[in-house]
Amino acid sequence: MRWVITIWRNLFHKRAVDQILDEELRSYRQLLEDEKIAAGADSQIAQREAAIELGGIEVIKEQVRDIRRGAFLDGSWTELRQAIRALRRNPGMTAMCVVMLALGIGASTIIFSVFEAALLRPLPFRDAGRLVEVVETQLDLGMDEENLSEADFWDLHDRTESFESVGAYNGFQANLTSDGKPEKVSVAQVTLEFFRTLGVRPILGRDFSTGEGNANIAILGNQFWKARYGADANIIGRVLRIKGIGYTVVGVLPRGEPWIDAQVYLPYPYHPAAERGNREFSAVGRLKKGVTPEAARRELQRLAAVMRADNPQEDKGLGFNIFPSRRWIAPEETGAALSILLVAVGLLVIIACGNVANLLLARGLARRREIALRSALGAARARLVRFGMLESLLLSALGAVVALALAAVSVRGIRTMEIPGIPRLDEVSLNPWVLCFSCGVTVFTGLLCGLAPAFQNPLQGVAAALREGDRQTGASRRQGRVRSVLVSAEFALAFLLLVSMGLVLRSFQGLLKEQRGFQTAHRLMFSLSYPDSYRQNGRGKQSIDSLLEELSAHPGVVSSGAVSSRPVEGPDNGMNIDAATHSAVSGPPPRSSWRVITPGYLRTVGLPLLRGRNFNSTDKPVWDEPGQPMLSHRTVMFSSALAMLLFPNEDPIGKHTILWKGQFNRDAEVVGVVGDSLERGLDHGPALTVYITYGRVAVPSEFVVETRGDPKTVFPDVRALIQRLDPNLPIGEVRSFDEVISHSISPQRINSIVLTTFGGFALLLASFGIYGVLSYLVRRRTAEIGLRMALGASEWDILKMIVAQGLLPALLGITLGGTIACWLSRYLKSLLFGVQPIDLLTYAAVSGMLLVTAAFACFVPGHRAMKTDPAIALRLE
Amino acid sequence: MPIDNLYEPPPVANIALLQGTLDVLILKVLALQPMHGLGISRRIAQVTNATFQVKPGSLFPALHRMEEAGWLTSEWGESESNRHAKFYRLTKVGVRKLKQETDDWRRISAAMAGALEIS
Repeated sequence: MRWVITIWRNLFHKRAVDQILDEELRSYRQLLEDEKIAAGADSQIAQREAAIELGGIEVIKEQVRDIRRGAFLDGSWTELRQAIRALRRNPGMTAMCVVMLALGIGASTIIFSVFEAALLRPLPFRDAGRLVEVVETQLDLGMDEENLSEADFWDLHDRTESFESVGAYNGFQANLTSDGKPEKVSVAQVTLEFFRTLGVRPILGRDFSTGEGNANIAILGNQFWKARYGADANIIGRVLRIKGIGYTVVGVLPRGEPWIDAQVYLPYPYHPAAERGNREFSAVGRLKKGVTPEAARRELQRLAAVMRADNPQEDKGLGFNIFPSRRWIAPEETGAALSILLVAVGLLVIIACGNVANLLLARGLARRREIALRSALGAARARLVRFGMLESLLLSALGAVVALALAAVSVRGIRTMEIPGIPRLDEVSLNPWVLCFSCGVTVFTGLLCGLAPAFQNPLQGVAAALREGDRQTGASRRQGRVRSVLVSAEFALAFLLLVSMGLVLRSFQGLLKEQRGFQTAHRLMFSLSYPDSYRQNGRGKQSIDSLLEELSAHPGVVSSGAVSSRPVEGPDNGMNIDAATHSAVSGPPPRSSWRVITPGYLRTVGLPLLRGRNFNSTDKPVWDEPGQPMLSHRTVMFSSALAMLLFPNEDPIGKHTILWKGQFNRDAEVVGVVGDSLERGLDHGPALTVYITYGRVAVPSEFVVETRGDPKTVFPDVRALIQRLDPNLPIGEVRSFDEVISHSISPQRINSIVLTTFGGFALLLASFGIYGVLSYLVRRRTAEIGLRMALGASEWDILKMIVAQGLLPALLGITLGGTIACWLSRYLKSLLFGVQPIDLLTYAAVSGMLLVTAAFACFVPGHRAMKTDPAIALRLE
Repeated sequence: MPIDNLYEPPPVANIALLQGTLDVLILKVLALQPMHGLGISRRIAQVTNATFQVKPGSLFPALHRMEEAGWLTSEWGESESNRHAKFYRLTKVGVRKLKQETDDWRRISAAMAGALEIS
């Protein structure tokens, strides 16, 4: 208790406490004087001797104050006020420091908020550590991650002992036709235990319960409930018509992804005698408490062996694997890309700190006298260091305030963005985690900035400093060296940032320059969502035919066609394929994409026919039509790369191939070869593709229209046309081909933009740093320069001398940065495309850019030095 | 060596106060009677045969620290020369502290004396 009272008195009755000390010291001196007089001295001499013996009263007082309890708090408060005063005295410098720190802290806060939302935030599922994804493998066919067939899932469901529960999910698209405009919705059929396995409870209504497998009931996804029904709380009991069947809504899910981001969920019944060939189910499992993933894997392998023995035909080569739920959040590349951006922003922050430290050092020089005075008056070294730190912490705190305002605005913008590969962007926020991170960065920058200036205080030569005031002595030469080191470090870090920027930009350029194969300008794309009735009696083919015919009659349309999966951004359908007469490659058969197309499609996307012929009305899809005789002759077209792979050095036309090798084994004749294209995305290389003609059993739903002018202007006519054909047909995803391309590379574009911004700032900050140091050098050496000029040095000599002096730390920094970059740039590999991490051109360009910038920054102070008037300069001394 | 130092007077022969020594000495001289700052300083010099010259820069921080710790208490009074002065006095805690420190010192000095004689 006692010490609380003492601290209270020391802090809040400071004046009284000090007064008593004052009085005590006065009385001490009086007693001393009395003593001297008693010893025979006269009063004047006694006074003098007493003063000498007592020593510096202020120093003693300061020492007593320092040992008082609460001295630290008291000192900090006083010093904080002093620091604020000091910063206000120098508004220009303060503003500059705050802006630089705000940029650094703000940028790192923004990047971290995205990082946190995309990667760190846990999944919205209970106890997600025990959740796994279960996949099938058929390693003999080279498939290591397949969906489960229905029967395989039920076998797993009935026999496994490692899991508390397992659930399966089968998603598809269907048309919703009750209340309001028809809409294509993503529907998921889920087993009754699916949500319980994930640990998700509906926020409204209830979950599916046992025995409801065949009930016509539905649970709505959160987003869909909000978007289509305006978060209507009375939705329970409403009937939705999906594929013509009514489903009663019984529940609404909480928000979250993945797994529960479909729009409508329907129950799926227990059906162990189901098909084994069709692999359409994604499965999730919740491990029992205490069961390790390895143990579960072993159990699943035993299970697979049993299933292989039970169904030697369908389950040949079957195996299982499981993946932790961590993998669901974001693909690995996203993690790598965001980590790189986080490191980049860290470098930027450190460069900014270097600059602020530089400014503080320069100002510290101007304050030599003040600081010397303070230490003469008894301020301890620790106290001066603390004061320096306090000042820089204050600066970074101010910076943080500005930074948070900046970040708040940016986060609002980021939420509206949609970047493929970065999940949960709409959930980015400045939550407590992000704020903690910003606080951490703020304290870190504050300490880092304060480090050099705080320890630069003149600890020796107080008297000299007082005598000379703000003029330069040996201590300031040392300070110049510290500042040069800072500049070198800034250049090295800037080099790293600029190299990453350069490499990513080169990759992006390379990506844009890739031979795409298809033409993207003036192409309109949209997708139609056919109801099931279109798959019967050739209705779909009729509809496509009449639509394509009417489109080609439109004056704004050059040509049109349809394909089963949209190029670049559509899902990829694949098959194993081989030549009929021989195996083209050793090992498992090659895997190829397949696409169903109309004859006009190739011309519409600009793919050339290299050999053979295009499809015509005599060609049929490779699938048999139910109720019709089996096809005797099937025809396909190949992409050039696929033809080269299966029939090297041969004319592929007329050759036979085996489609779905190992599965359905359909024989088909190659009738044409088409130019290669980047079907699966710009960074995937030319795709191996089998083209299959459309027909009564294969109805492609992605349309491409080549237009004469801006594709978007034609769209209203297209819509009117479709509505005339079938008013209930939902039209979706209307985009130009160019937009599709640009959307597909938006992660790379974002990386380029962010890194270019960082690189630009780094360049600016580094040049600013070198400018500051040189200006200071020139000012310090004004007299010397004047002397040199008086002794006959030319202006040119002076300029050369100054610029060389400035370029030295820059060169050091560039060399250092280059070395580190060579070592670190391999971590960039996941962001790069078509360029090596150690790319000479980039490194040379970056070095050149930094050198030119440095020279430019040197020129201004150099020029000032050049114009020095020797007469004035010499008089300064 | 910086040139300035050559002109400084040679340091007064004075054993640097061991950590904690000053505290015991102050407690000891105050055990006899309450005293003001200068009195304490003079008495210490006297009892240590002028080995320890306590300067105000050391004395006052020590006095204030010990007072805050509750070993000493102070009050204003009249000095022998009728001057206004602040007198320090031991508290009960201070008396206990002195006893404990004295015991410690005995042990240490006996140990040191023994060690130095043997070698």
